[in-house]
Amino acid sequence: MTRRYVGERVRRNEDHRLLTGHALFVDDVQLPGMLHAAFLRSDHAHALLRGVDVSAALERPGVVAVYTAEDLGDYWCPGPLLVPPPPVEGIVFHEATQVPLAKDKVRHVGEPVAMVVAENRYVAEDALADIVVDYEPLDAVVDLEAALAEGSALVHERFGTNMAARVVQRHGDYRRARDAADVVIARRFLYDRGAAAAMENRAVAAVWDPLGVDLTVWDTTQAPIPIRNGLARMLGLLESQVRVVAPFVGGGFGPKIMMFYPEELLVPWAAMRLGRPVKWTEDRQENFFATTQERGQVHEAEMALDRDGRILGIHDTFLHDCGAYDPYGLTIPINSQCTLLGPYDVPAYHSEFRAVFTNKTIVTPVRGAGRQHGVFVMERLLDIAARELGMDPVEIRRRNYLGAELFPKNFDILYQDFAPLYYDSGNYLPALETAVRMIGYDQLREEQLRLRAEGRRVGVGVVSYIEGTGIGPYEGARVTVDPSGRVRVATGLGTQGQGHYTAFAQIVAEALDVDVERVHVVTGDTREFGWGTGTFASRGAVVAGSACHAAAVKVREKILAMAARVLGAAEEQIDLADGRVAVRGVPERSLSLGELASHANPLRGAVKPGTEPGLEATAYFGPDHGSTASGVHAMVVEVDPETAMVEILRYVVVHDCGRLINPQLVEGQVQGGVAHGIGNAFYEKLVYDEQGQLQNASFMDYLLPTAMDVPRVEMAHMETPAPMNPLGLKGVGEAGAIPAGAAFAQAVEDALSDLGVEITEIPLSPDQLWQLIRAAPGAPLPHLQEARR
Amino acid sequence: MIVDGEHVFPGPREVVWALLQDPEVLSKAMPGAAKLALVGDGAYEGSIRVGVGPVTAAEWKLSVTLEDRVAPEHYVMQVDSKGPIGFTRGSATVDLAEADGGGATRMRYHADLQVGGKVAGVGQRLIDQVAKMMTQRGLNALGGELERRLAEGA
Amino acid sequence: MKPAPFEYHRPSTVDEVTELLARHGPDAKLLAGGQSLVPAMNFRLAQPAVLIDLERVAGLAELREEGGVLRMGAMTRQRAAERSPAVARGAPLLVETLPFVAHPQIRNRGTVGGSIAHADPAAEIPAVMLALDARFHLRGPGGSRTVGAGEFFTGLFGTALEADELLTEVEIAAPAPGSGWAFGEVSRRHGDYALAGVAATVALDAAGRCSGARIALLSVGEGPVLASGAAAALLGGEPTADAVRAAADAVEREIDPPADIHASAAYRRQLAGVLVRRVLPRAFERARAAAVQ
Repeated sequence: MTRRYVGERVRRNEDHRLLTGHALFVDDVQLPGMLHAAFLRSDHAHALLRGVDVSAALERPGVVAVYTAEDLGDYWCPGPLLVPPPPVEGIVFHEATQVPLAKDKVRHVGEPVAMVVAENRYVAEDALADIVVDYEPLDAVVDLEAALAEGSALVHERFGTNMAARVVQRHGDYRRARDAADVVIARRFLYDRGAAAAMENRAVAAVWDPLGVDLTVWDTTQAPIPIRNGLARMLGLLESQVRVVAPFVGGGFGPKIMMFYPEELLVPWAAMRLGRPVKWTEDRQENFFATTQERGQVHEAEMALDRDGRILGIHDTFLHDCGAYDPYGLTIPINSQCTLLGPYDVPAYHSEFRAVFTNKTIVTPVRGAGRQHGVFVMERLLDIAARELGMDPVEIRRRNYLGAELFPKNFDILYQDFAPLYYDSGNYLPALETAVRMIGYDQLREEQLRLRAEGRRVGVGVVSYIEGTGIGPYEGARVTVDPSGRVRVATGLGTQGQGHYTAFAQIVAEALDVDVERVHVVTGDTREFGWGTGTFASRGAVVAGSACHAAAVKVREKILAMAARVLGAAEEQIDLADGRVAVRGVPERSLSLGELASHANPLRGAVKPGTEPGLEATAYFGPDHGSTASGVHAMVVEVDPETAMVEILRYVVVHDCGRLINPQLVEGQVQGGVAHGIGNAFYEKLVYDEQGQLQNASFMDYLLPTAMDVPRVEMAHMETPAPMNPLGLKGVGEAGAIPAGAAFAQAVEDALSDLGVEITEIPLSPDQLWQLIRAAPGAPLPHLQEARR
Repeated sequence: MIVDGEHVFPGPREVVWALLQDPEVLSKAMPGAAKLALVGDGAYEGSIRVGVGPVTAAEWKLSVTLEDRVAPEHYVMQVDSKGPIGFTRGSATVDLAEADGGGATRMRYHADLQVGGKVAGVGQRLIDQVAKMMTQRGLNALGGELERRLAEGA
Repeated sequence: MKPAPFEYHRPSTVDEVTELLARHGPDAKLLAGGQSLVPAMNFRLAQPAVLIDLERVAGLAELREEGGVLRMGAMTRQRAAERSPAVARGAPLLVETLPFVAHPQIRNRGTVGGSIAHADPAAEIPAVMLALDARFHLRGPGGSRTVGAGEFFTGLFGTALEADELLTEVEIAAPAPGSGWAFGEVSRRHGDYALAGVAATVALDAAGRCSGARIALLSVGEGPVLASGAAAALLGGEPTADAVRAAADAVEREIDPPADIHASAAYRRQLAGVLVRRVLPRAFERARAAAVQ
């Protein structure tokens, strides 16, 4: 009779509200007297700000206020450093965080220069055109290598360099490995910028209540609690006077965990100053400039192997594009360093990076958060090595996998949580074999030859990766049995579509044996739960889910203790099932949980000392280190050699995210992640010119793959439960996106293997591929052959 | 954005050179109701009216400075223009060579222009073509003006 | 992304439209389906002082066949044309092409006349009109006139329309016996602006030799491009694989494609050639099948 929810395909609790238009998004917030904000943003990537004349804007009817940096007075200050540099020996780090409105200088196209508050957004945008800014353009810093060269313009003069950081991490002795190697592969790899492109852009609405003396802020943030704490401090309020609500949010993917964006600081400040609610909704065009992005890195990588294809060592030096400021520290490049190692045994490793300031939008984690780069470099080196050794790409991976007996595995290098990299559990070889079987690898190799004779170019790619998930510091949850018998769960992090309202309900429903639809989950409201960090790094289900479990277990104990007292029996005699407690074998002596909850909160009489009222408990979960998810992706593509257009025919994911709470949610995450990954590989690239101008600032030219471009992913799940949390959970939010670029490159090269095309840049466009085909050393194209006859 | 090419004018180099420095002639060569005034030695300021297809014709402030002048064969033109949907700045190198035994002039031009602001972010499909089209129209208009001058002179 | 302020008019007759155009001239923009204009206005690239909405103007959306001629009102929705039996009979090339125009939602609102008047160099409908040698009826305050597709498209977004004229009707002669047609394009994603596209009509005589060919391309020039040299080379010969390849090579030499962030000029040229090689055989196949009937 015990309900099983964890592991079941439960339909989502939140879908009815979403589908019938009863879900609140920030732009839905409408309050009497509400004003609307718009921001004047820099047109120049790098320029001195000689003057900002807002007088004409102030005269426009409907405009209530116009603010520049001067008007902010003491409130103007650079944002906090969100992630300090990791304690790596010899690290160099220059901190430069974003400012609310530019003062003296603008450092990227889109940096806010002035804020207009008006009766509606139309008037506010009209007023933006009234503002006259005197820019003195400077040379823009765009190319990473040129940025570090002598004589380059400087993004932040005070450092005397554009280098934001330098980090070296190593284990073993690479030089010795190289000397002993039979084969050394060295290549330059480029992984370029992309946006998160969440369906909902950012938005902030705020209202100051002078009677209650409190501030309410609705924000599309992935981290409502830190935002509340920061705003309270900056505005001179108690944390309890500020409520931040992240209601339904249409996708986060990382940029919404960036905190203290200018708009987040200024909208609440303006609401307090003007005594009227203020709202700002980012439009899609702004999103391309004003919301953070990710991905630019250039790697010079080298792999040393023996003649059997075993890795002896890897040496990687790379440049990482920070954008104009580095508030998020070095999370992304550290992830790149660590994730490069993958599921492989790498006896010697030397990884060195320099993070570089450029005059482009700030870089903070986007789904994958730097892991794709590490995976791309490793997988490409293995593929190139395999080709050189005449070995099958799957075989070379088999030979280098870490064996299951090695877990947990400790490394010397530091991960993004500042602890040494640590693999807690995993079993890689079975995943590889499953993927190979599912994609029909051996049959495909035969098919390929037959198809090539017909002039069709089909290729297959198989890649693997590991992903550190579920890191600390901690999250918390409070579980309460309501007198109605329904159960309420509150936790601090936010939800942007991951299905937390269902996943957390499943965990609690199973622990308390109630119907999952009767568990009501609240997330992202600091008034409901005020301790925690946020949704990022594939940790929500793991860390908050574990906290929900811990709190539910405590409530279960209280239920049994209270029931024993009220029903006059020993605790061991009490059964908890289907939302009721009963004495075993005596069905008349039973109560519903709701009735029991009422008993637990008496209006009269005495209670025993030390009793806590109600059936409620709060618990926190903070893991020592993350849990290691892993997977293998396999892809089949067809390339049209005349047009260089690529069609993805099949996509297989074999994934290990530990114990699954809800397979349906996991499949959704993987499918969506793959779409993101395919975008990274073949469609999405933010194109900046040499003066830092973004040339594709709309979906007309920044191409997102559509449902017609992404196949339905065929999935298999393996489960190696995580030892560090009671449910054995691992994260899954980013997995789909991480290795897709590497799989794509391998598959396309494979389709054109007789031509000897080598792909070292991602994303790839058909034009680039066509140029690679033309320049390839291999046989000429069929139609050229005919023309010569 | 690079705009480069050649254009042959049906007149001698000295006449073409003079034409290219004359603000009235330049105004006629520029798009829309252009107003250009000479404000210093080799420095011009004014505005042009530009609109193509869906983009509404609007006024763009313009300042042009001629540098490195070697009459009648070479100059470099610094351009700075700002309008409601963006800005453009850059320089163009212009070389004039005699052609047709001195009766005609071959102009070679190479312009490297930066385009910024809103139009840079959403207009990339068309920016190159618009620039080429405007350049061609301008050169044709200059050619027409040259013919008029020569006819009057004769 | 809110548009700048504008004056809005919603006339009910063509005369009212021309009267408004005459009064406001270049300050006014006509609103047909709005699928190009409204986004441009939201981006504030377009800031027309006056917007004249054609939605309620009587008689602009009629579709009829008259003695071997298909007459389509300018406000005919693209989706209506796509599904119309009359258009399937009178301009099957258009029916084959329309599914490549953006997405169904856009075609529900977008109009045939709007696309022609907008003359985006990457648009499919103008190229199809060129291939079909369509004729356009224009109305101004002074009266009406007719312009052939060959003279109508004058440059980058340029058309023969004066500032006070509107396009009222498109006239397409029915395909002659023994004619064929085909369309093809290459785009990054379905529904995107094409990197290159080819719309072709051909005709075969009784001996199976090519008696007519019109090869129109999109996205390779300032407007739709008619590759007349390549078409002329096909005349009088049999439509063999070699003839098709020669035509494709001729097209590649004839065009001067632009470069942008999505495709270099060389890649566009390559695509144009590949498309001609793939589209012409289908057109000839249809011509053969039609001749047999």
